[in-house]
Amino acid sequence: MQTMHPTVLVGPADWDEARLPREEFSARIAAFWGACDPGIAGAIVFGSPRDHAELAYLTHFTPKLEDAIALVPRAGAPRLLVGGGANMLGAAKPLTWIETLVPLRGAGAAIARWRDEVGPLALVNGDAMPFGLRQEIDKALGAPPFDATALVTAAMRRKSPREVALIRAACAGLDAAFSAMREAQRAGQGMTDTVLAGEQAAWRRGAQDVRSLFGREGRLAPFTVRDDAPADPLQVYLAVRHDGYWAEGFAVLSGGAPPVVASARALLDEALQLAKPGAPCRGVAEVLGRAAAGRPHPLTAKDFGGAIGLALEEPGGLTAASAARFAADEVFSIRAGLRDGGDSAVVSAIVAITETGHEILWPGGATA
Amino acid sequence: MTFDERLKAICAGMAKRGLDLIVAVHDGAHFIENPNPVTVISGVKSLGAAIGLLDRSGAVTLIVAPAWDEQRVRGLCRRGRVVGVDDVIDGLRGALPAGKTLGTAGLAAAPYALARRVAALCSGAVVADDVVFDAAARKTDEEIAWAREAARIAERNYRHLLDIARPGMSEDELAVKLRLHSRSLGAEDNFLMLCASPHNRAVAPSHGRRLAPGDIILAEITPSFRGQLAQICRTVVVGAAPALLREKYALVVGAMNAGIAAARPGARMAEVCGAINAVLEAQGYGEYCHPPHIRRRGHGLGFASMRPGDVAPDNDTLLEPDMVFMIHPNQYLPETGYLMCGEPVLMGERGAEPLTRRRAALAELR
Repeated sequence: MQTMHPTVLVGPADWDEARLPREEFSARIAAFWGACDPGIAGAIVFGSPRDHAELAYLTHFTPKLEDAIALVPRAGAPRLLVGGGANMLGAAKPLTWIETLVPLRGAGAAIARWRDEVGPLALVNGDAMPFGLRQEIDKALGAPPFDATALVTAAMRRKSPREVALIRAACAGLDAAFSAMREAQRAGQGMTDTVLAGEQAAWRRGAQDVRSLFGREGRLAPFTVRDDAPADPLQVYLAVRHDGYWAEGFAVLSGGAPPVVASARALLDEALQLAKPGAPCRGVAEVLGRAAAGRPHPLTAKDFGGAIGLALEEPGGLTAASAARFAADEVFSIRAGLRDGGDSAVVSAIVAITETGHEILWPGGATA
Repeated sequence: MTFDERLKAICAGMAKRGLDLIVAVHDGAHFIENPNPVTVISGVKSLGAAIGLLDRSGAVTLIVAPAWDEQRVRGLCRRGRVVGVDDVIDGLRGALPAGKTLGTAGLAAAPYALARRVAALCSGAVVADDVVFDAAARKTDEEIAWAREAARIAERNYRHLLDIARPGMSEDELAVKLRLHSRSLGAEDNFLMLCASPHNRAVAPSHGRRLAPGDIILAEITPSFRGQLAQICRTVVVGAAPALLREKYALVVGAMNAGIAAARPGARMAEVCGAINAVLEAQGYGEYCHPPHIRRRGHGLGFASMRPGDVAPDNDTLLEPDMVFMIHPNQYLPETGYLMCGEPVLMGERGAEPLTRRRAALAELR
């Protein structure tokens, strides 16, 4: 789900070896090289503050301020090139298990030198690089490097037990946030303070990041200016990140029981039944799209959620065009939306696909 | 200056360069250092990727993704047509007139996947960032009012820091609390750099380190109000400040005041930097007035345009009324480490007016 991206990331992002030990990263890197063309000797892995799931997957590093590039050789220790100059290295060090950090300067020349040392290179997440930087690298290498992004994103689809545990923690933050928002709304607080109460509850549980969209009449918008009038019903989208991993939820907060919310919930429950290994992802989209035909919410006109984890939107969207099938250990956010006359609602849930069906990680709720 | 007057100035710049159409590109990652040409020509801070088209007559077409955000953007867009799409390149393809002389803005900072496709559709286009951003070097009356409000929020946010910071609290925890507090005050974003150490090398993003007695907290607090940033730079000691630290901080404040005094209409930005450096050089800190210790003594304040640019020795921009920028010596000194001290200023007819009510002073957490 698209949210307003903040200008700097401020939440806790230090690497905690107890939660994600070094072996987990070593295994990920080994799996990458196992899947990669044997002629490739090194991988350039890019991450920006906005778009860094692949970088975080391999290094744990979240670029809070400026871009970063990991140079991951097939043999030997990786290095991390960190934006912002030498003075930023101290603040970057606790965020990764990688021991060698150097400033990200003259990236094209540095990468060309590395290519000369190790051999042919692959590129991961190069589409997110600033245009100027990517042109500099392509020019320095003489040709665009092999794009290995899909190898990493494919591996990211299947979550390890440790990853699922972190998504559960994010879901717990989501729960706490919606509870706090419900309390604030009941207490008569204005729309802005209601949502801030939720954000605060998630941060208190140790969230790494919290994003919100909210509004009256089913609309969703980022915080722009304070709105001190109460809102009921209040449509809210909240995303909570915990130790790298996201959970997200849509709910309608209301003291009443708007029928459109119950209808959306029933639709979501029907769709959730289809989330099981081997089932086509488009099946979920077709059910949600068909049921909402003629009264779709703009947010669920074509897109009904997707894979979630280190990115809010991992490859694997739930659309009618999807050719993918659900597989065990994948985690999905699934949303249902309806518009009925002047009323509208979007509700959602998060599920982990198991060997035999699915497990609900965040159930959502008719009115949260 | 009004928004419409600025658009006219951009159109005049287009005519001078022989451009029929500006294609302004932004990906929705609102980083403080990346100016946003889409915001300049539309007044909109987009959620996702956005492309703004401005023709020489002043007509604007704004293409935004995701499509469901169209209604919100319609309410914000200052003038022109808004098109909500799933893919802004599809929208651009449909809206781009044939046979026009094109200029692009924002392309170098846009992500490769977006910029590559824009460049392919706009073959032959010239880089025209300067046409858009130069015209936005002076803030509009609205932006000035928003900068004042952002500065007010920054000062209250700093007051909150002094109220809640305590030993044992992590940098991350403090930064999160300040971010929430600034939102409660009406800031939609806050570029908040906060770190602490007995001897800082620079200001950096927060991490898990816990505050301890004797630490020097560096805080760069930069709220955004309606998309306009204002910043204050402050230094706080956990405990009593040693006499040497007080003395050195006073030196840095003196350098800042010299910079503010030097900022007058018609002066070059480089002269502001020179005035700051002169105070420090006179005390024997000349080698610390250059990289790697410091590369600039302030900067413009976006998110829209970063003009008039850095307070740096190589910036020859002539200062004019209605420019808004930061003056911050933010100096590393070998005896104390990095010290932060800075104010947002508005250029008036006679000089620079700090937008803050209280200038930086060394604070102590007791």
